[in-house]
Amino acid sequence: MHRAYKISILYFSLFTLLLLMSGIMIFEAKIGFDVQRALGYYIGNKELFVAAKTNGGILKLVLPHIFGFALLSMVVLHFLIFTKFRNRVFVKVLLYTILVSQFFEIFSPFLIINISEIFIYLKISSFFIYISLIPIVLYLLFDSIAQIKFR
Amino acid sequence: MKFTLIKDLKQDSVMKPILSGLLFFIILYLVSDIFVKDLGFGISVHTIKLTLFGSEEEFLDPITQASFLEFWHVEIFFIMMIVFTLSTIFIRVSNASKSAIVIVNLMMISSIISLISLPFAYFFSSEFINIYVATFFIWHILALFCAFYSLKRLHYA
Repeated sequence: MHRAYKISILYFSLFTLLLLMSGIMIFEAKIGFDVQRALGYYIGNKELFVAAKTNGGILKLVLPHIFGFALLSMVVLHFLIFTKFRNRVFVKVLLYTILVSQFFEIFSPFLIINISEIFIYLKISSFFIYISLIPIVLYLLFDSIAQIKFR
Repeated sequence: MKFTLIKDLKQDSVMKPILSGLLFFIILYLVSDIFVKDLGFGISVHTIKLTLFGSEEEFLDPITQASFLEFWHVEIFFIMMIVFTLSTIFIRVSNASKSAIVIVNLMMISSIISLISLPFAYFFSSEFINIYVATFFIWHILALFCAFYSLKRLHYA
């Protein structure tokens, strides 16, 4: 890989942080980080005139995210190949934690409306785990990229 | 990213048409993006102001915060994927020349500034719309240049 690709990767990291920031802002504006407010978003809130979400409605919301999360995670995580940490155990733990958290971030709303309201904690925590771990991957990337000997 | 490891792209009978197709569709996307923005969000300072803040005289409602954030979120995702893919191809076919690096930097910086100036315009000051419009066209022009140049290098250089 050529030295010049570092530029693309570094800018891509900045875009990723911007995307995460916009994701946090949307989550706060639409769903909310308060458990009761977030629950109201899914099961409805009569006082705020919020209608309960249906399975079809949630599916419509999550559809672009299934592909979006997958593509973003694949691109960001595959950069770990170029880092000095690629064979470390904690990188594997990081990878699987990110993939599992993104799965529950996308699909936990179905558990909330179909099984139990308790899954709202899973929704909020998986969101925070994903949002926190991606910058850690980017940090590992920044930490390694300066030391990699490119062709 | 496999194409970054192939020695001679122009002689590669599989990778060459794949990259050409990708570049062709990126060009179509960039041109279509300008037309779609013109029809919806706006590409001039006046039309973007109307979209973001509405107009009592013209009975236009401003965009809601949730809709604006969703629009911004989707924009970031698409732009990051396009400029990243395009920059890697452009760097590869231009043999990472100094001028290519400068162009990639300008394209990346202008696209990031355009994305950052959008929420600044919505939440803080409408003056940032000027920056958004200028950088929107700068990064589109540079991206189109990178795409056309890459196609030319793949086929004629």
